[in-house]
Amino acid sequence: MGQTSVCPYIWWLGVIQTITIYINHIMYYNQFTNNRKEVVSALNNFNILVGGEAGQGLVSVSNMLIKAVAKQGWYLFAQQDYMSRIRGGHNFLRLRISDTPVYCCERGVDLLVALDQESLTQHQQELNEGAVAIADAQLAYSKEHEHFIGISFADVATNQGQPKIMANAVAAGAVWAFLADNLTAIEDVIKETFAAKGEAIVDGNIRCAEAGFNLVRTNRQQFVHPPKPQTHNELMVLKGNDALPSGALAAGLKFMSAYPMTPSTGITEFISTRSEECSVVMEQTEDEIAAINMAIGAAYAGVRAMTATSGGGFALMTEALGLAGAAEIPVVVINAQRPGPSTGLPTRTEQGDLLFAVYSGSGDYPKAVLAPGDVEEAFYLMGTAFNLADQFHTPVIVLSDQHLADSYQTIAPLDPNKIVIDRGELLFDAGPDYQRYQYTESGVSPRLVPGFGSSGLVVSAGDEHGQDGHLIEDAETRRLMMEKRMRKLDGIRAMTLDPLVYGSPDPEYILIGFGSTKGAIREAVDLLSQQGLPAMAVHLPQVYPLPEKLRKIWQLSGKKLVVENNYTGQLQKLIGMEFALAPDGSVRKYDGRPFSPQDIVEQVLQGGAASE
Amino acid sequence: MSKQFSISRETAWCPGCGNFGILNALSQALDGLGLQPKDVLLVSGIGQAGKTPHYIKANVLNTLHGRTLPTATGAKIANSGLTVFAIGGDGDGYAEGGNHFIHALRKNIDITYLVHNNQVFGLTKGQASPSSDPGMVTGTTPLGVTYESFNPLAVAISMNGSFVARSYAGDQEHLANTIQEAVRHPGFALVDILQPCVTFNKINTYQWFRSRVYDLNQDPNYDPSNRKQAWERCWEWGERIPIGIFYRTERPTLCDHLPALKSEPLVRQPLVSSRLDQVLAQFK
Repeated sequence: MGQTSVCPYIWWLGVIQTITIYINHIMYYNQFTNNRKEVVSALNNFNILVGGEAGQGLVSVSNMLIKAVAKQGWYLFAQQDYMSRIRGGHNFLRLRISDTPVYCCERGVDLLVALDQESLTQHQQELNEGAVAIADAQLAYSKEHEHFIGISFADVATNQGQPKIMANAVAAGAVWAFLADNLTAIEDVIKETFAAKGEAIVDGNIRCAEAGFNLVRTNRQQFVHPPKPQTHNELMVLKGNDALPSGALAAGLKFMSAYPMTPSTGITEFISTRSEECSVVMEQTEDEIAAINMAIGAAYAGVRAMTATSGGGFALMTEALGLAGAAEIPVVVINAQRPGPSTGLPTRTEQGDLLFAVYSGSGDYPKAVLAPGDVEEAFYLMGTAFNLADQFHTPVIVLSDQHLADSYQTIAPLDPNKIVIDRGELLFDAGPDYQRYQYTESGVSPRLVPGFGSSGLVVSAGDEHGQDGHLIEDAETRRLMMEKRMRKLDGIRAMTLDPLVYGSPDPEYILIGFGSTKGAIREAVDLLSQQGLPAMAVHLPQVYPLPEKLRKIWQLSGKKLVVENNYTGQLQKLIGMEFALAPDGSVRKYDGRPFSPQDIVEQVLQGGAASE
Repeated sequence: MSKQFSISRETAWCPGCGNFGILNALSQALDGLGLQPKDVLLVSGIGQAGKTPHYIKANVLNTLHGRTLPTATGAKIANSGLTVFAIGGDGDGYAEGGNHFIHALRKNIDITYLVHNNQVFGLTKGQASPSSDPGMVTGTTPLGVTYESFNPLAVAISMNGSFVARSYAGDQEHLANTIQEAVRHPGFALVDILQPCVTFNKINTYQWFRSRVYDLNQDPNYDPSNRKQAWERCWEWGERIPIGIFYRTERPTLCDHLPALKSEPLVRQPLVSSRLDQVLAQFK
């Protein structure tokens, strides 16, 4: 085992260690390349792929497995790949299980569960040596494949006296036979999931899961199986579209307005369904223009407000971003990116809105753009987003993407107390002479909440205005007000989140990225290190303003490669524009799918695309 | 009556502009309602009408062209204790913001919407607006307006808008009274205000309106709770032009439906719910 210089992600300069768990998943790359036929014992990583048509209950199987795997004490990463349709098509879940933390999915499948023919046809070639395929017995399958288990999922459910739809539970039980000796975790999940639907539904699902489990269990020992779960402290399992709204609630979100748009809709529904429980308002609007303007109205009135959308909707919001910038109103906008331009690929992933977000809105105004890389960061950065917005009275954009939005990950329990709310200079009383846009050294003018206090009035305007908020057209006031607003950018820059660095301190390769590529880059660094190529990952949780400490990375001698999920190399361009620094090469992907660590390693070893 | 909403500020309007009548009527209405300036929020759009809030002593949020209604809706939901107005022109509300108008009617958000309807674009110097009379020749319609004129009252009544009124900038008493009724109405209250534009609209002038406008609420047979009557009367335009409250009905407002607003205004509530731990526990 080549345990080369693998160290945790650290805040640059090594002051704060953010992740203290030592990573030990060294074996798998060799196993991936080697013949696995002899391997009947545990794998360090066990990769399951469950595929089917939309409407077949794939989501139910996926949710059951994800929750049960986490309950059993494994670490997991689960990536959802689905088509933009309601019925039919080909959808699948990749579920990677390990006894140590995992940060993304990888290539290869150890257990394929095919609910339809397409799942077999498309993914058969991904099977690792020694892998197993469970498929509906009616389907045609490759005769050469020695480890094929045919189960008539629906018939098994019917034989249990249950409706055909419970074929999902049969499939979940069948999978579970590869993972554990008993069905307890699946049973617990079924009870939690269906409790509201009554005992008959719970019992029916459990009976079906048992039937699937028992069918496979007798032959299980012949096949590969995952490592025994560690005895962990309790883990949470959630996806980005859970973490972002949860973080917003922990940060004091009181108002959200949004128009549904994949892949951001999960955030909108999350807040909607918790609105009564958490005393928060989620208003569905007629369009994205209304959504952001409504959030701006609520924020003006004093509550923490946000909206969420994807690229096309974000395009509609850009005029109002300028309004929030000019009128100095704190609003948080989540852009869950999907491949563009235009409607693009609605259910796929890309990081193609980076420059659009950074330069969104007409004219110059201060803003911050954050780019969480995983579910844990997504949760805590929502606190940062709302604090920055309140401290600098300006919009803050959070860049997510479909990969972060829909991928599940196990993490240590989230601690909402770690989100410390700072509402900046917020007044609840002011006299008659109060001026909303009073000139200050920092550019931040204390903000009065309208309707509070004795007599102060809040006059805010998107038209250019004087200190009192009333409209002006003279050159001198315009100059002074512009300078006041833009001074806030200096304050934002001074608080910019530092890059997170992982890997060798003396790297041959330095892989720089932002947002949801964080996990794949980290694991690519591990793969390179195992090949004797010391590497370093640099993750940017904030992309605008760029952190000054990024310049220090350029002082290292290793080959710098910017890794990003877009065509033109937008992060690379941004670094060039802001810092006049160029990398030695690029690693890019724009097929609508997230990077696997192997994708990155391949491009790195090919030298990276020529730097533009 | 004290004039606590009036301030002395130079306006950007032409002498004789219909906006002056609206400004005076609005100040008069606010004074008469016994409100404090700090409890009133005027949300404005862009255009000459959108400048009105800057000449009144109250909280002001000057927003984008056409976006008054969603912005005002957000502010009202956040602090339902505020008396919220959305103020804009016909271009702002019936062109750029047309979609928001339809949905504000549906949602019945408890705000008062004042539309300074001068049937022309003033600030951009005289182009046709959605409510321009057919045939009107402007810089963008050299052959005359060829489209059907937008009828805001008909749209509002068809959507069961809960308060639908029209008034006239040349009749300050009527306008002030109508605004007060609109504010007192629990729900979305549209006041479409006929406003002469002395510079760019040479058709719909003070003189033109003066000989045509009549108060439909003076008619003892007119019942504003009768939607059929309202529907018929809202199409009357030409020789006689009715003003007054066309239609009024009570139904729950947007805020009435929101569970989070049952206790007190959102802005006065604790930021983080005590139930957050239960939300996070769902991930275990």
